Formats: sequence, C-alpha cells, structure tokens
Amino acid sequence: MLKLNKTLICFWILVFIATACKEPEQEIFDGLTPEQIAKSDNPFLIEVLKASAYSRIIGTWGGHNSLWSLHEVSSDEMVITQKGADWEDGGQWIRVHQHNYGSTEESIGNSWSYLYTAVGEINLLLKQYPEIASLTAELRVLRALVYLWLIDAFGNVPIIVETDTDPTPPTKTRQEVFTFIEKSVLDNLSKLPDGNPKTTFSQLSARALLAKLYLNAEVYTGNARWADAETQIDAIINSGAFSLENNFFANFTTNNGGSSENILTIPYDEKNAGGFNLAQMTGHYLSQRTFDLQEQPWNGYASLENFYNSYHDKDARKKGFLTGPQFASDGTRLEDVSAESNDPDGSPLTFTPEINELAPNSLRQAGARVGKFEIQTGAASSLSNDFPIFRYGDILLMKAEVLWRSGKSGIALEYVNQVRKRAGADPLTSIDADILLAERGREMFAEGYRRSDLIRFGKFNRAWWEKPASNPSKNLFPIPQGQIDVNADLKQNPGY
Amino acid sequence: MKKILLCLVTCLGLSGTLTAQTKTVTGTVTGGDDGLGIPRANVTVKGTTRGTPTDLDGNYAIEVSADETLVFSFIGYITQEILVSNQTTIDVVLLPDVANLEEVVIVGYGSQERKEITSAVATIKPEDFNQGNIPNPTRLLQGKVAGLQVTKAGGDPNGNPVIRLRGLSTFGANTSPLIVLDGVPGADLANVDPNDIASIDVLKDGSAAAIYGARASSGVILITTTKGSGETGISRISINSFVAVDQAIRTIDVLSAKEFVARGGEDFKHNTDWFDVLTRDAVSYTTNASVSGSFGTTSYRASVNYRNNKGIIKGVSNERLNTRLNLAHTALNDKLRLNFNLSVTNREFETKNNNLFRYAMIYNPTAPVYDDLNTKNDGGFFQRDLFDFFNPEALRQQQLRGGIEKNLLTTYRAAYDLLDNLTAMVQFTQDRRNTLRGEYDSRLDPQRGFGARGRAGRFNDDMSTRILTATLTYDTEIMNDLRMTVLIGAEQQKRKFEGFGSEVRQFLFDSNTWNNLGAGAIRTGPNTNLYSYFDKDQLNSTFARFNFNYKNAYFVSASLRMDSFSGFGANEKTGYFPTISAGAELTELADLGPISSLKARASYGITGALPASADQALPVFGNGNRVDLDGNPLTTDDVFVGINQNQNANRQLKWETKKEFNIGVDFSVWDGKITGTMDYYTRNIEDLIFRIQVPIGAPNPFDNNRPNTAPNTFVNLAELSSAGFEFAVAYNELNLGSVKWTPGINFTLYQKATVKSLSVGEGLGFKFIRPAGSTPGSPGQNNNPTVEARVGSTVGNFWGPRFLGVNEKNEYKLSAGVNDTDKFGIIGNSLPDGDFGFQNNLEMGNWSMSFLLRGTFGHEMYNSYRGFYENRDAGSNNWNSVVTKKTRNIVSTPTFSSLYIEDASFIRLDNLQLGYNIPAESDWLENLRVYAGAQNLFTITNYTGLDPEFRVTDARQGNGQDAALSPGIERRDQFFPVRTYTLGVNLTIK
Repeated sequence: MLKLNKTLICFWILVFIATACKEPEQEIFDGLTPEQIAKSDNPFLIEVLKASAYSRIIGTWGGHNSLWSLHEVSSDEMVITQKGADWEDGGQWIRVHQHNYGSTEESIGNSWSYLYTAVGEINLLLKQYPEIASLTAELRVLRALVYLWLIDAFGNVPIIVETDTDPTPPTKTRQEVFTFIEKSVLDNLSKLPDGNPKTTFSQLSARALLAKLYLNAEVYTGNARWADAETQIDAIINSGAFSLENNFFANFTTNNGGSSENILTIPYDEKNAGGFNLAQMTGHYLSQRTFDLQEQPWNGYASLENFYNSYHDKDARKKGFLTGPQFASDGTRLEDVSAESNDPDGSPLTFTPEINELAPNSLRQAGARVGKFEIQTGAASSLSNDFPIFRYGDILLMKAEVLWRSGKSGIALEYVNQVRKRAGADPLTSIDADILLAERGREMFAEGYRRSDLIRFGKFNRAWWEKPASNPSKNLFPIPQGQIDVNADLKQNPGY
Repeated sequence: MKKILLCLVTCLGLSGTLTAQTKTVTGTVTGGDDGLGIPRANVTVKGTTRGTPTDLDGNYAIEVSADETLVFSFIGYITQEILVSNQTTIDVVLLPDVANLEEVVIVGYGSQERKEITSAVATIKPEDFNQGNIPNPTRLLQGKVAGLQVTKAGGDPNGNPVIRLRGLSTFGANTSPLIVLDGVPGADLANVDPNDIASIDVLKDGSAAAIYGARASSGVILITTTKGSGETGISRISINSFVAVDQAIRTIDVLSAKEFVARGGEDFKHNTDWFDVLTRDAVSYTTNASVSGSFGTTSYRASVNYRNNKGIIKGVSNERLNTRLNLAHTALNDKLRLNFNLSVTNREFETKNNNLFRYAMIYNPTAPVYDDLNTKNDGGFFQRDLFDFFNPEALRQQQLRGGIEKNLLTTYRAAYDLLDNLTAMVQFTQDRRNTLRGEYDSRLDPQRGFGARGRAGRFNDDMSTRILTATLTYDTEIMNDLRMTVLIGAEQQKRKFEGFGSEVRQFLFDSNTWNNLGAGAIRTGPNTNLYSYFDKDQLNSTFARFNFNYKNAYFVSASLRMDSFSGFGANEKTGYFPTISAGAELTELADLGPISSLKARASYGITGALPASADQALPVFGNGNRVDLDGNPLTTDDVFVGINQNQNANRQLKWETKKEFNIGVDFSVWDGKITGTMDYYTRNIEDLIFRIQVPIGAPNPFDNNRPNTAPNTFVNLAELSSAGFEFAVAYNELNLGSVKWTPGINFTLYQKATVKSLSVGEGLGFKFIRPAGSTPGSPGQNNNPTVEARVGSTVGNFWGPRFLGVNEKNEYKLSAGVNDTDKFGIIGNSLPDGDFGFQNNLEMGNWSMSFLLRGTFGHEMYNSYRGFYENRDAGSNNWNSVVTKKTRNIVSTPTFSSLYIEDASFIRLDNLQLGYNIPAESDWLENLRVYAGAQNLFTITNYTGLDPEFRVTDARQGNGQDAALSPGIERRDQFFPVRTYTLGVNLTIK
C-alpha cells in the first residue's frame, strides 16, 4: 500500500508557497529592448538605426489626410471636390479649401503626429548614441528639417531636444523655432558628408534647408534674410553637383533615384517604404484600368481650372496633368456608366479642367488630375517614385526670387528662363511678383510648396475659385485640439 | 448528488473518559427525503476525535462503548445524536434540514455552507437556467442574477456575449468577470457546454472575489461541471437534442424600389430586396449526450456535445464539438481523493463581413444582383464604380473567412487528508487554445481581391496556460462554539502566446481559396504579409483565508492574496488584496416567527486588474520599414528591417485596484417558500490601466524621459466611484389550483460610475477624455468623438451638438458647428439606470412552462443607421435610405448630434419554453420530455435602431481599451437581431 509521507507533503507545499512569493521577470521575445540594442556589435546597426529615423519622415507625407494634403488643398493649385456623399468627409476638404479649418481637422492632427513622431524617434537615437558624431550631426539636421515643416505649418511649437525632461513641453515662438533650426544646421553642417546621397543629408542638402528657411524668414520672424538665402543658394549652384534634367519629368519617374536635379528626396518604395498614394488619391475609379493598378483609386485630388490654365500649351510641364479622354491599358475607351446625367461629356471617361462646383455635386469626371509623378503600370497603392524635398529647379527659382527681391530683376530673369527653357516655354521678358509666383506654381505643382509660396508673396488670403478672401490668421494652421487636450502648456495660435 | 459532497467533521464537547469495554456497532444512514443510503455521512463519537464515514450505500461500522453517544451528521440534514447503550445495530434516518437544503456554495479554492457566506454570492442551478439554443454558458444567466448584465446584441452565431457585473465600473483593463471553470481561473468558456454545467456561482462583491486578487476586479463567475453519479452499478445515459430556427428581425425599414426612384434615386429598372438575397431562415441542430455512473470508488461522467449553428447570413456558421470526461476516484479509506477533468473542443467557423448588413440596407434597390455589363471583371455581378458601393451578394460570395479553433483543458487534482481536519490539495491544469484562420478574396472581388488578383491569408494563434495550485485547509474548533477554517495556498500561472501568419496574392484560380498559399505568385509588398510573435507572462500568487463560525450565528471571513505579475514595472510587480466580511444569522438569536432565516452581512474587499498585454512596462523596439542601405535594389545583402520604438513604455505600471463595500440581507420566509436577497454596494476604482493620449515627441516621464514615439501610453489613470442596489426574491411553488407557479424577480438600480479624477500622477492629468475611437465613422464622420468622460461627470456621456430643429430649407439647425467643440454639450448617457428579470416557472401535471421577461432602462444609444442614412443628402441618389418613425425630412449631410441619440429602454420576452413529460413507467427509462420554445419573442421599446440591448463596449473597437469608454454606440456592421424557435427532446436512460 502507498505510504505517503505527510511531513514531505507539508514541506513541499510550504516550499511551493515560498516560491510563489517570487516576483517573476518579464522577457521580450519578439522585439528588442534598448539594452539588447546597446549590446549589439552588428556593423550595420548604426546605419539601420539612422535609416529607421529617416523612415519616420517617409511617414504619412505622401498619403491622403497628410501635411502634404493640407499644403496642397489650402492652396490655389489643388482641390478635393465633394461628389455627393463621396469625399464629403465631414466637410473637411471644403473647409480647408475655403480656409475655414479648425483645430479638430483630422489632417491637422495627423500632420502634427507625423512631425513629432519623427522628432521623438530622432531624439531617442540622439539620447542613446550621443557619442557618434557622424550620426548625431545628421540626426540634428534631420530634426531641423522636421522643424522647418513645423515652423511653416504651425509656427509656434514646442522645441524638444534629446536632453529635455519636461513631459509637457511648452510652446515656443516662431522666432525661437527659427533660431533653433538655423543653429541646428549651422552647428552641424561641417560634420555632414560631402557628395550627393539624395536620400540622406549632405552638406549641400543641409544648405538647401537653410536656403528655404532664410527665404521665408520674413514670414517666420518678420525679418527678411534674402542675402543669407542667396549665400546658401550660391553654394549649392556653385558646387556644380546638380543640373537641370533635360526632361522635366525625369525627376518624377518611378525610378528617379538618379535624377541630377533632385537634392534631397523621400525614398518611397512600394515594398520597402510605402505611403506615397498619389495614384489612388487623384485617379478616377476607372483609372485602375488605365494603369492596371492593384487597388481602385479614390477620385479625389484635382487641379483648379485657373491653375491648369496658367500653363501655356507649349509648356511641357502642362503634361503633368491627366486630362481629356481616358483609356484602359489595352487602348479601349473607358466608360463611366455611373457618370452623372448632367455631365456634358456623358459616360465616356473624360477629365475636364473645368469643375462645375466645389460641393455638393461636383461631377465625377471634373478636374485635371495630377500626372506629374509617373504612375507605373501595375502599381500598388504605394508608388515607388522618390518624392523631392529639395530640387535644383526650385533652387534656381529661389535664386531668381532673392535676386528680384534685392532689385536685380535682370539677372533674376535669366534664372527663371533657365527653368522655362527646359520646359520648352517661351522665355519671359519681364518679372514681377505675380509672374514669379506663377512660374513657381507651374514648376513646383504638387510638390507641397504652393501654400508657403502664396504666403510669402502675400497672396494666400485672396479670393479664388469657390473660396472667399480669408483672414491672415489662417496663414498658420491651428495646434491640434487633441494635443492641447493632453498638453496644457501648448498655446493655440491666434485666431483659433 | 449532495450526498457525496465534501464532509465537514463536527466535534463537540471536551474529551471524555475512556471506558474499558468496547463493541462494534453497525448500521445504515439513510435520508428521510428519498430513503436512500447517504454515502460519506459522518459517524462520530461525541466528545472524541474518533469517527468514520459511511460507505457509498450509507453503511458504517464503528467501535464504541455502551456509554458513548454517536453523532450522525451530513450536510443538508439535521444532525442526530444517539446513546449507544446496549444496541449493536443502529439505523438512522436523517431528516433534511429545510433551511439548509440549498447547500454548499463554491467559493474560491473551496466551498462553504450557504449559511456561512458573508459576501454577495449568487448560485444558479440548471433548473433555473435559460432554455433554448444557448451555446454560451453565460447566457444561461441572462436576467437571472441581480447586478449581472449579460448582453449580446444581434444573432451572430460566432459572437459572444459581453458580461458585466455591477455595471460599468472601470474603463481600464479587464472589464469582464474572471471565469473559473472547475477551479481553473481564466478558462475559456469554449471549454464547457451548457449541458455539462451543474451550477454557476457568481461572486459579486469585492470580498467574495478577493481570493482571486489581481484578476477579480470585475467579479468572478465560478462554473462547476456535472460529476459522475455516486450510485454503484447504475449508468445513466442522457440525451438532449433539438433543432432551432433563427429568423431575422428587420427593425429598420428602407425605401422600396418605387419610393427610391420617386425620391430621385438612380433607377436601374429592377426590384431587389437585398436583405432577402443575403439572408435565410437559419436552421441549427444541437445534440448533447452524456453517460455517467460509478464502479468501486471511481465515478465518471462523459459527454459529447455537438452544436451546428447557422447564421441568418448565408454562409455564416459555427459548428462545435465538445467532449468532456470527469473522473473521480477515492482511495486510502477516502483519505485520498483524485479528480481528473478533460475537455476537448473543436470549433469550425465561417464568417462574413458584417458590413453586408449595411450594404443590404443601403444598396440601390433598383439594381439587379447580376448583370452582363462587365462579367470579365466582376464575375457577372452588378457592380458600379461608386464610392463604398459594393454589391453585397458579390461580397458575400467573393470574400471568404473561416477557421478552426481547438481547445484542450485538462485538470488533475489530488486532495489528501493529512489529519482528519487537515487536507492538502494539489491541482495542475493545462489549458491550450489554438486558432487557425483563413481568408480569401476572390480575383473578381472589387473591394479587396480584384487589384490584388486574388489574396489569400492563413493565420495561426496559439495560447497555452499552465497553472499549478497547492492549498492546505485546516478546520478546528478553537474554543467552545467557535469553529475556524484556515486555507493557505499558492498558485503559479504561466501563459504563452505565439503565432504566425502570412498573406500572398495573385492567383490563377480562385478554387483553392486559402488552402494553397504556394499558388500565390506575389509574396512581398502591399496586400501581402508575413509575421510571427511570441509573448510570455507569469503570475505568482500566495493566499490565505480564515473563516470563523460562532454558534452558527455569527460568521467572519478574512483573506489576503498576494499577486506578483511579470508585466508590471520593476518596483510595482506585487499587489496585496485583503478582504474582511462578517454576518449574523438573526433567527439563531431570536425567534422571528414566520421568518426562517434572516442573515445580515457586510463586507469590504480590495481586488485588482491586469493589463491586456504584459510588455507595457518595458521599452520595446519593433519592426520599421525595410531599409536598403545603399539604395541599390540589385544589392540585397544590405537590406534590413528598420528598428522603431512603436510603443511608449511605462516602467511604473501597476495594478488597477477596486475597493468595494457591500451590505446585504438574505432572507427566507415560511421554511423557504419565499427566499430573497438584497445588496447595496459602493465601489471605488483607482489607477485604471488605460491607454492615454500623450504629447507625441515629448519626454516620457514614465520611461526615464525617453521620448514618446507613439501617440499613446498605458498608465494608471483616474479614480471612479459607483454604487448599486440589488434585489431578488422568489416564491417557491405557489399553488394556483392544479398549477404550481414559481415566480422570481430580480432588479438592480445602478448609480452610474462617476469620474472622480483623471490624474495620472507626476503632475499629469486631464480634465476630460474624448476617445478618438468613438467617432461615428466613414464617410464624413471620422473626426469628432461622440463620447466624453469628464471629471465630476458620469462615464458613458454622449457629447456633441444639440439638434434644435430644421430651417426652411430642411437643413439641420445645430447648437454648434463641427469645429466649435467648446460649444458641444452632454446630450445623453449610454449606461442604464437599472435592469430587471422576471422569471416564471409553471407546472401542471406533466406540463411545464417557463418564460423570462427582461428589461433594461435609462440608457441611450447612438443609432448609426439613422446617423448616416436617413437624410436626403447628396449621397441619397446612389444609396438607399433608412426609414424609421423618427425619420425627418432633412437634406443636410449627416452630422452627429442629439438627433440620433435615442432612449433605448426596453422590455423583452426573452425566453419562453413549453415542455411535456411523457409518462413512461419503465425500469430503464427515467425521463422523456419534449419541449418547444422561442427566444427573443418581442421587445417593447422606443428605440428605432436594430437592438436596444445595452452596448457595454464599442463593437468597432472590439472588447479592448478605448471600447469600454465608448458604450452605447450601435454600429452599422451590427449583426441583425434574430428570433429563435426551438423544438427538442430530452431522454434519460438508466
């Protein structure tokens, strides 16, 4: 018969109870802790970490409801019309078009999150690797780029650096942000690599950043810095590292990595770095069959008729729009059986530059679409075209602008005409604010700079199609309400 | 059955003098109720520790001397004392103790007599369960227990009910009660078929639940399965089989094709009722069979439960096969008791996109199901390239979702009596769950599959839990009339979660669906996926409980549990959960006339809650984009997946704690003819584990100022308080002529949870939280949250502009524009003020009938169908509109406002069953019963949406974090409610 040792049972249970008092440790099996990363001696690690920080600026820039969307739709070059229930979207895009945006717009919250996620990731790396000079210099300039976008869109924002400890960082003035950006770049410029890597910062792309900052200094701080802008622009031009592509559109193709004109790009890739959804955003539903797209487009972004008409027919850049009859990839004419009965073009799919109305019943086929970036046949919802942040064509127009602003219209005209000549457009013979602004518009369409340019030229608040004149307070976007709700030290911009 | 329950030794008096002469007395102990022998009744010699249990037939033999007194006792029976004198055979008939008949209540890690319970515990037996087609055990309790809300809106056979005890009193971590199945905490309800349940005990207050410590904040539900019967040589076979039919209830109407065209809708010249196209009367079959019996000292019960449930949407199904074996064996003169429970469940399911209901409502009623416009691209279905406009029948056929879920639960338990009053128990449990899912979108599916040219996915999730429990129970009389029971124990729970999945696309044929991923040509990039994961956590616990019983009149219970969880911050891993409760049986102190029992009790207990995942306290880097370091796609040795910190850590994360105070009264009048209970409770919940929005990019004070790289952080937030009053009373067999009526009513009044603070500590905090997930959704209403939790106000408040009327153009007049959030106000509340259940059992001869009326009142809901689809707006040329009695002629684009917040109070005839016992005099046929029933027969409500059932969590966000803060939103993908008719037969053979 089984003999049970009672003492042993009691002893075992008491030992078990003692064991159960122990505090268990948590282990991570499918992620990495900072300690694990710190111990790694993988030679690729630092490069991968750096690339991971850069991938935060890939982020949502090229998608819908993004900072890019805000820059474009609040300007006079792009619109999202309401087509019945389609693109009504709570009225957000009508409000953005008409400069009635408020602090709870989804796109405004998204933009803030996009930018400050990048700030957080960059600071995280700076905190972990304060010693690696090549890494820290580049990351600080990358952070300056994010702050350039912040100062342009939101103006007065918190400045957060890696050594900060305040969990609710307070709003700083636009002047302070300006100084921070300027100092970040100047302090680190010499530590950046030479050459022209395009997808990461070099000394030249950092100068392009500075040039953009100084070009808008009057808007940002009240003090113009045209001469400082010109210094940086000249350094870029004189480096000889960049030249205009003969074909304007070579800068925007699917494989545009080799463009001689692009200075810094966001390297989108349908497999590695998704998020550039322009084909979805602008294409008609049936455009899926034009480009054999993997997903059906959304029939959203189109150009304003007046903007489209600002191009001369000889201007090669006018081909940067999808207009007229549309065909399937096999050449058959596309039929939009759901076209509205009042559409003068009937059911054959035809993109017309004219748009009947902003809302509520804009025609499905109305509006010239964005064709500046190549849409590869068979593309996924994410395109692989690299998105230019700084481009030599822009630098030349910036050069023209600073010259014109310092009264040197004659030389300015030469730079403008360099850009026009490449596009096959007739050279200009005179220059003024409107001409320069219009030329910047034609060259820089859909590159996310139109709003900034309009503000700098003092034209952002004028009336245009389906938009009344707006208040100058709209030149800054409001701080997202959701962020103010969680950070009481944020100050809302005036007028909101 | 009760005769084999755990015996408690009662020793009375002081040690007597031993006499010289002893003899052997034998006899049989039988029950006065059924005349059968009582197994394991106690036969003790008064004033000594000597004693013996009776055998399975009630026989005993004991050595005594003539001047000693034998004490015969058994739970539920009145104890008898007999002087031995010159007798050698003493047969005893024990009379049932009517006041005590209800027995033993399962409490955590043990059981107690009902009269000793000093906290709020409700016990429900099978005879009180809801009847009908009920695959989920908790729905057996719907409307039966005051304070227990079991809600399941709609008739999805793959959906599970949401359970709340004592209302919504947290929006933090775990809001569902802990399920303890046969002593296994955290077991999955899929492991038990309702047919196998012997009793369900609901531990309602903090004191009763506190023995489960860190997981008990939302209450505990203990489910006990049926064990083998104790009668040697008799095998009993029971069969219960029924067929059920689900019919859809269309509570929302839409325009007919004619009305739609007349209103200006686009006319495709057909007349299609899309709802009819998609749905069916769903026929389900269920059969449960069990066999039980015993041989020697081993008893067994084995059961097979097969349920094949179909949904009203064609192609939705849930086929479950559950098998269970419960074995009990005793050895060493009953000192060693072994139990073995095994449950194996296999569930195969097919689901459809629940948005089919939405499309069925709003798809153009003049459109045909099929046309030949573009067969090459869409498989012959009518399709148009319009925003969010998909032929629902095409989606139904072209998008496939399904899978298999396998559950295994085994428990081994050994209890050994080291001394007569000291028992050691060890239990080991293994709980395994595996789900293998598949998805396929056809090459012709316009919504997802077309561009991907066919997309298939396969996903495997595996979970395993091991629990080792050991306890020592000591029972003693520490002084005259004062009995003490001590329990000490320890438990260790280790859980593992792992899985992987992949998605590929571009297929030549649709016919293999998800069964041949290798036939998908494209395996990277958009619409493809490859992942795996592994997580582990551990909970170490020790606990002790003391119960005191003074003269069967005063009772005190106190316990303390200590839990250490791996997933909390380094200095916050351990939590302590104490409780104390006391009660007094007033009938023991004074004669209260017809009142046969009146117990007053009070309790106070602290319980906790764990976070949903265990890695929130550590900073973790996850996968970022793939990065090609040199940018050259031709070189691949420099391609890596980037590392990004995708969540913000909180190194100080700790327990959510709930402090609960409860006072109650249990009463019984006229020897149990009327029984009832009343409870009042207050709860205070602190340090809710909640994911807050944080200033993105800012230093994270919970992680050594490392920056926030995600918009949310899990923190311990807020303080809530709530209270409630519960009342339940039943009359046992009221005679109305030949009809015996047993009515029972229970109701609960809730004092809704009030937000006392939203502070996080460290100077951080909020005035309000407006959960981003509470927005109505696309199109156009993605932005403004509809719910606000504010300091000083109640949880569940709807927040938005007020509807003031319409202007002359039939446009809304609202109290504030969409961006004027500072002018928004509170426009409703989604938590109920109270609910009730009214159960009726009627018997007349061989006929029996039962029905349950159930109601919830005082809650409001957001009706999404009206909120999106009743206006004659720009979209209504394409989309059909819903029509309710509250629909007004408005042309504005739909915007959230008080117009769509509706009172959702309701009364429902939830359950009706009529049964007939076919009289059959037979040796082998014990019982034969046929029955017919109906569920959800009618609902009285002013609500014009689909189902006024209180929504505890927001369906769009699952059962997770933000979901608990956004109750009361009826989404457009809500599975339609159904009415169920059943017809079945019960058969017991012995």
